[in-house]
Amino acid sequence: MKCDLGVELLSGYLDGELDKEQKAEIEKHLKECEVCRKEIEELRQLDEYVRTAEIEEPSREFIFNINRRILEKVKKKTRFRLFRFSPILAPAAVALLVFVVLININRPVRFASLDERILYAEVEAKKELDIEIPKAGFAREEVYAKGVVAKEKKALTTSKVPTMAKARDVEVFDHAKKGEAGAFGIEAQDEIISLTEVQELQIPRDRIVRAIVDSNGKILKVATGNTIIPERDTMLENRLQGQQLSPPLVKGRRTQLYVDLTQEKVTKN
Amino acid sequence: MYNSIESDEFLIERVKNGDCESFNPLVERYKLPLYKVMYRMVYNRDDAEDLVEEAFIKAFRAISRFEIGKPFYAWICRIAVNNAINYLKKERRGQVQPIEFFEHSLAAKKGNPVEMTKQKVLQERITAAMAKLPDDYRTIIVLKVEEDFSYEEISKVLKIPKGTVMSRLARARQKLRGIFKEMEVQNK
Repeated sequence: MKCDLGVELLSGYLDGELDKEQKAEIEKHLKECEVCRKEIEELRQLDEYVRTAEIEEPSREFIFNINRRILEKVKKKTRFRLFRFSPILAPAAVALLVFVVLININRPVRFASLDERILYAEVEAKKELDIEIPKAGFAREEVYAKGVVAKEKKALTTSKVPTMAKARDVEVFDHAKKGEAGAFGIEAQDEIISLTEVQELQIPRDRIVRAIVDSNGKILKVATGNTIIPERDTMLENRLQGQQLSPPLVKGRRTQLYVDLTQEKVTKN
Repeated sequence: MYNSIESDEFLIERVKNGDCESFNPLVERYKLPLYKVMYRMVYNRDDAEDLVEEAFIKAFRAISRFEIGKPFYAWICRIAVNNAINYLKKERRGQVQPIEFFEHSLAAKKGNPVEMTKQKVLQERITAAMAKLPDDYRTIIVLKVEEDFSYEEISKVLKIPKGTVMSRLARARQKLRGIFKEMEVQNK
């Protein structure tokens, strides 16, 4: 005996995937049709067999070591993920490099960046963007407080002849200690010169001198010259490089700065 | 090392934040259920183990796309099943299905009631019948009967319309019943 009801509907009914109307129809039909009742029972039984069928046990290697193997592989893959893209990235990087070289190849060599940065710093300072240009006095006091000066003084009192630089340092430190503000400051400049004969940061009046001061206030590089292209002055460089100023501050944060040390400009400030 | 109390979400969150070790408890938790599914799809222990491993690695690499709050097992199961479907399509094309093992096993134990209870015979027979099914029929039966996926979920995993899921599943069941009955007759 056969029934016209499709096996699809019985299968769907078994899985609970029919809508309400279809479900009601099937249930009504099942009450009347023994063939379909038997069919659905067989399907249900078959599902049960499938669910309970035994499977081959996994290996001991799988049970005990799969975690370690997976972890090793994912770590390895994470580590080398960047290299997977290198076939694309490498030519792209080369292309970018060539592009940069090509667009710059005909440009004249410029040394004006130092100059530009100074202007920038000054302009920004004028905008009241909270830039604190490094000063000499403060840093000297700091060094003084650390006892360096005491050591130098000791050197002075000994029979050994101190170097000029050391002698000058001591003079300046003393000056700063006395509270005569800006031992290297601008207002007291003449006085300092008279006191110390040689001022460490004395800049010839007719020269533009600029320096890169690191975030701790140490002078890293010095350039001079009246034109826009900086010139190198070895003597001035030797004198100024490594000198300690107060740390340059931009918005209260220490930062490396290009600073104008030109006498006239400093005096104006 | 996290114990089994940690929820899937907690562990996945940690993995997402770069803690690879937190993936370990997830592997521990789901390796055997996944093995079962994979085994039923490929009927080969070594292949099933490899597929489980691959599924976990793929899941780890795609973990950033996992939406917290959804069931992790269903998600990784989908990854594993898709991977196994691709494996069956590519790797095993033209190869002999490993059904000889089951037929041999059945033949060896045939007529030995001491060795095999009736239940055991039925289990062996259904296993052999499943192994004889075409891959797509076997896959859909595993997804529905073993894993109790809804037609909607199966349609997403297999990338076929929901109506096709219904008709294919019905045909797969018929086919399985046919093979099963055939074997019953042969073994009598």
